Amino acid sequence: MYNTEVRGPLILGNKSLGQITADITSPLYARPKFWWIVGLGISSILMLLGFWSIYVTISQGIGTWGVNNTVGWGWAIINFVWWIGIGHAGTAFSIFLLILRQEWRSSINRAAEAMTVVAVACAAIFPALHMGRIWDAFFIFPYPNTRGPLWVNYNSPLFWDFIAISAYLLISASFWYLGMIPDFATIRDNTKSKIKKAAYGFFAMGWRGSVGEWKRYEGLSYILGGIAAVLVVSVHSIVSTDFAVSVEPGWHTTIFPPYFVIGAIFSGFGMVMTLMIILRKIYKLEDFITNAHLDKVAKILIFISLIMGTAYLTEIFLAWYSGNEYEIFTFFHNRITGEFTIQFWCMFVFNALVPQLMWFKKIRSNLLIVFIISILINVGMWFERFNIVITSLTKNYLPSAWASYTPTFVEISMYLGTIGIFTFGVLLFFKYIPMIAISEVKAVNKFQAKESKVKSQPSKED
Amino acid sequence: MEAQYLIGVFDEEESMLTAFRRMKEEELEIEDVFTPYPIHEVLDNHGRKSKITIVGWFYGLFAALGVLAFLVYTAVIDWPLNYGGKPSSAFPSFIVVTIILTILSITILSLGTFSWRANLWPSNEKPIYHDRATDDKFVILVKKENVDQNKASSLFKETGASEILEK
Repeated sequence: MYNTEVRGPLILGNKSLGQITADITSPLYARPKFWWIVGLGISSILMLLGFWSIYVTISQGIGTWGVNNTVGWGWAIINFVWWIGIGHAGTAFSIFLLILRQEWRSSINRAAEAMTVVAVACAAIFPALHMGRIWDAFFIFPYPNTRGPLWVNYNSPLFWDFIAISAYLLISASFWYLGMIPDFATIRDNTKSKIKKAAYGFFAMGWRGSVGEWKRYEGLSYILGGIAAVLVVSVHSIVSTDFAVSVEPGWHTTIFPPYFVIGAIFSGFGMVMTLMIILRKIYKLEDFITNAHLDKVAKILIFISLIMGTAYLTEIFLAWYSGNEYEIFTFFHNRITGEFTIQFWCMFVFNALVPQLMWFKKIRSNLLIVFIISILINVGMWFERFNIVITSLTKNYLPSAWASYTPTFVEISMYLGTIGIFTFGVLLFFKYIPMIAISEVKAVNKFQAKESKVKSQPSKED
Repeated sequence: MEAQYLIGVFDEEESMLTAFRRMKEEELEIEDVFTPYPIHEVLDNHGRKSKITIVGWFYGLFAALGVLAFLVYTAVIDWPLNYGGKPSSAFPSFIVVTIILTILSITILSLGTFSWRANLWPSNEKPIYHDRATDDKFVILVKKENVDQNKASSLFKETGASEILEK
């Protein structure tokens, strides 16, 4: 079990239960702030741009993208993998730390899970459109059809991918929602507005906090936590098999599944860090998301960054050690040097080197620098996917088939559009859902209060 | 209508737990306890059992077998396709889909079970005995016909209930 002496206080300010409720729910009752409306406006504009690009893609086809016969996967797949990676944070965060009984997760998991759901929804847009004929997308379901019935190919990683992503979206959304039920009930019982009472009451599903409810709730969260832990690892492994199963230089390696999973958790935690620093600042939640919380996330980032560096070096070493001329060409003449040098070194420096600065306590406790590092991690992770997708495809076995790739405006606006969807979703989350799991934080607070009571009262023996 | 329930409202978890323990000792039947967060002593000793984890395990077992059977039926029996001469009964490549769909089935089925057994569904309206039980109060509910009322309400008073209501 966790020990407060080691961890320090998880929630500052000796709050009563009522205060915790009031502190966390106050943004829900307040009028929307000016910056919130501006943010919503900007993200709506980005979303409109994204919808335009989706319209162009559907009405005119993939020809509006910069992809060609050689480079069949462009920005769409880069962004897909990037968003899925970010979407791994929430589940990784809440589930691994739930199973490991790390109580400090309770201040952060709600926001991380919100991020997950929105990011996975963003990710799903890309492969769906990349199919080309989105109106035939239902062909991927194994349903009894009039063509035989002709079933789908279960040996294809692309089919696994479809199953994994849709399951991941459904499961992370249900896990997120399950966690919110008690908090919705709290709002339902607290609010004075009739509309809010009806709306939150609808979603609280009649929760009262009775013995039967809590008991089954806990049982269910452990079931979902346990199986979703498997899912976190398997979803991104499956995404990596999209690459690893094909015989492209730079893709066809067994390191890919663990490398992708770690990369996903890395970018996810980077995004959690970015979001948490913003969230605690603008909503003044410093008592709940304390410096100690951010310090822990920073330490995890250092550790994962070390693994990332190891993975990069392993890949490069194996390319050389295999003696395979195509692998050597891809890594040494098309990544480390050559056409894509900048992208490669951006990836390497931002992911493997820059986070190492956080070994120093001074840097780790300077939130501005940590914020910049967390942004750089996400940029670096984008370049990692760029490296994987583009460098391998542009120049593979046949020099006569080599081609170059530049994204078109449609592809760029689709990416901007998903950023708009993401910020839009996160802003709605800020306004309408308690950003911190109220009931979980209360349980942690109680535990902490007991410990401090025991400490302050001298025991009877001495 | 006459009040059916006697309700003890506590401000502190500790005093609620004292009342809970004493009621268990004196064999006063507790109908339900409402708390803002799970309190394991209450959950473990109230007497109700939840088998949701066991049920979940069986959901997983049947889902896994079902998915695997479906894959074998469609890919091997019903319409075997020739993918580059590879065997159509390719167990290793069925594993991934089986795992993912098993997880999905467990989630959906146990959510359904949870919703059914814990009596929770959208726009469900159950009687709320104290509207701060989801905020900062701890509420013990007893049914009047099951207990000696005077004994129960004096026990609530002694253990420091901040309110004693009838509903």
